[in-house]
Amino acid sequence: MNLFFQQIINGLTLGSIYGLVALGLTLVYGILHIPNFAHGALYMVGAFMSYFLMMDLGVHYWVAMAGSAAIVAILAVLCERLVFHPLRNSPPIHDKIAAIGILLFLEALVQMFWGADFRRLSSPFTGILNFDGLIIPEQRLLIIVGAFVLVAALQLFLRKTMIGATIIAMAQSRDGAFLVGIDANRVAMMTFAISGVLAAIAATLYAPINLVYPAMGHLVIMKAFVIIILGGMGSIPGAIAGGMIIGFAEAFGGFYISTAYKDIIAFGLLVVILSVRPQGLFAKGAH
Amino acid sequence: MLQLKNVDVCYGSFKALNNISMTVDTGELVVLLGANGAGKSSLFNAISGLNKPSAGDVEFEDRRLNGLKPNAIVSGGVVQCAEGRKLFPHMSVLQNLMLGAYVHRRDRAGNKQRLNEVLELFPILEDKAQQPAGSLSGGQQQMVAIGRAMMSRPRLLMLDEPSLGLAPLVVKQMFEIIKQINSLGTTVLLAEQNAFAALKIADRAYVMENGQLVMEGDQETMLGNEQVRRAYIGA
Ligand SMILES: Nc1ncnc2c1ncn2[C@@H]1O[C@H](COP(=O)(O)OP(=O)(O)OP(=O)(O)O)[C@@H](O)[C@H]1O
Ligand SMILES: [Mg+2]
Repeated sequence: MNLFFQQIINGLTLGSIYGLVALGLTLVYGILHIPNFAHGALYMVGAFMSYFLMMDLGVHYWVAMAGSAAIVAILAVLCERLVFHPLRNSPPIHDKIAAIGILLFLEALVQMFWGADFRRLSSPFTGILNFDGLIIPEQRLLIIVGAFVLVAALQLFLRKTMIGATIIAMAQSRDGAFLVGIDANRVAMMTFAISGVLAAIAATLYAPINLVYPAMGHLVIMKAFVIIILGGMGSIPGAIAGGMIIGFAEAFGGFYISTAYKDIIAFGLLVVILSVRPQGLFAKGAH
Repeated sequence: MLQLKNVDVCYGSFKALNNISMTVDTGELVVLLGANGAGKSSLFNAISGLNKPSAGDVEFEDRRLNGLKPNAIVSGGVVQCAEGRKLFPHMSVLQNLMLGAYVHRRDRAGNKQRLNEVLELFPILEDKAQQPAGSLSGGQQQMVAIGRAMMSRPRLLMLDEPSLGLAPLVVKQMFEIIKQINSLGTTVLLAEQNAFAALKIADRAYVMENGQLVMEGDQETMLGNEQVRRAYIGA
């Protein structure tokens, strides 16, 4: 029973992180049709920025998270302005090549400053909560609650604010958005900024129970792509549900089958689900 | 009010519009007739800033529009209700209408008043306000599209084939509403293939063929013109 509960917590933790990363990826894809392979690098930079702010400048964990979110948001907007925007009328393959270029550039840059070593980000939440024998590490609880709060805040932002409405409008009809006078540049920058914030916060939440190193984004971004393909490219509920499905499959698969195979499970599920529902679980536009 | 001078539009090497010059005066209802592929939508999109003329000038109230971004043109008072409606299908009718007021988003009181005026034009939209726009019938969706364009407070409203795919009775109603919008003070440029119905509400008309304007005249002249009757009215 207890071990089973532990796997649920693990599944929720992984699902939360994957969901947050996939959410940014799916927003950018749904609105700008850019498969941003560099999103994993933004995630990695987010972890390093928090590491830098905490270890070198000595700020508190929360402040580091906010600072890292702001820095990565700016970095994401710069990617849009300097790379993707000038390529907007080029064939789609150029976006993909450019995204891989950004990924390699950011990794090399981080490695130049911090080296390729594995580092540990400490968090003030090292305790373990014990509910009548059910054990939850504080950091894992923080991840689950944090992801929930972020998703709720994002929903509120998208549904209740005018800027949010312009983002959804652009996703549903690009031409319609132009016809009512929505500025495509502003929407593009806002979308990239949101994706950067989500990636940085996810990285800062997850880093204390994992390691920080320049290649840390690889597996995460591959799984995030699996998730948004599963969930339906561009679908917000799809990204969240897909994140949870992969998170739970890994937690339970890792425990009941073998941890050695846990990273393959996501890709196995992709094959199985797409053979049943080729369009993904949620059709695009189901906002 | 609107003046086009020798406008060309190209798609790659294909010249879709060739040396178009036309004017629309304040308060007029001008119809642009043309068969499929004549270039009506290309002209509207060039005026709206959605595609760039390769030559010539588009002027609105003595201000050059070509080179401006679509949002600046909407803010300037030139609003297009496009072919195929281009609604936000999963958003409610009300949200669609309110996004039409995007460029005036700071003037909440003005938007509220405008919304009431639009709902007066299209009373049925009041009942459908909370439904997703994509779930409405074709005629109702066209009303949302025109209503959304009206929420942008156009001084020049361009309507691209609003009767496309609608039942004859609904078409008649649509033209009556367009006439009403015009008589309430909005200048209208209307692209149509439904020549007879469009000419009946028009002040003036242009005829477009293969990217060129081939004829121009007031309502009476056009309705009486043998060529127009044969080509577009079938009588
Ligand atoms: N994006 C585009 N790329 C290439 N050619 C185009 C494009 N848009 C329109 N055309 C071509 O330009 C010509 C004019 O098209 P346009 O859509 O302006 O005609 P239209 O008068 O609006 O026709 P319809 O009544 O069918 O809407 C057509 O030959 C069309 O094939
Ligand atoms: Mg057309």
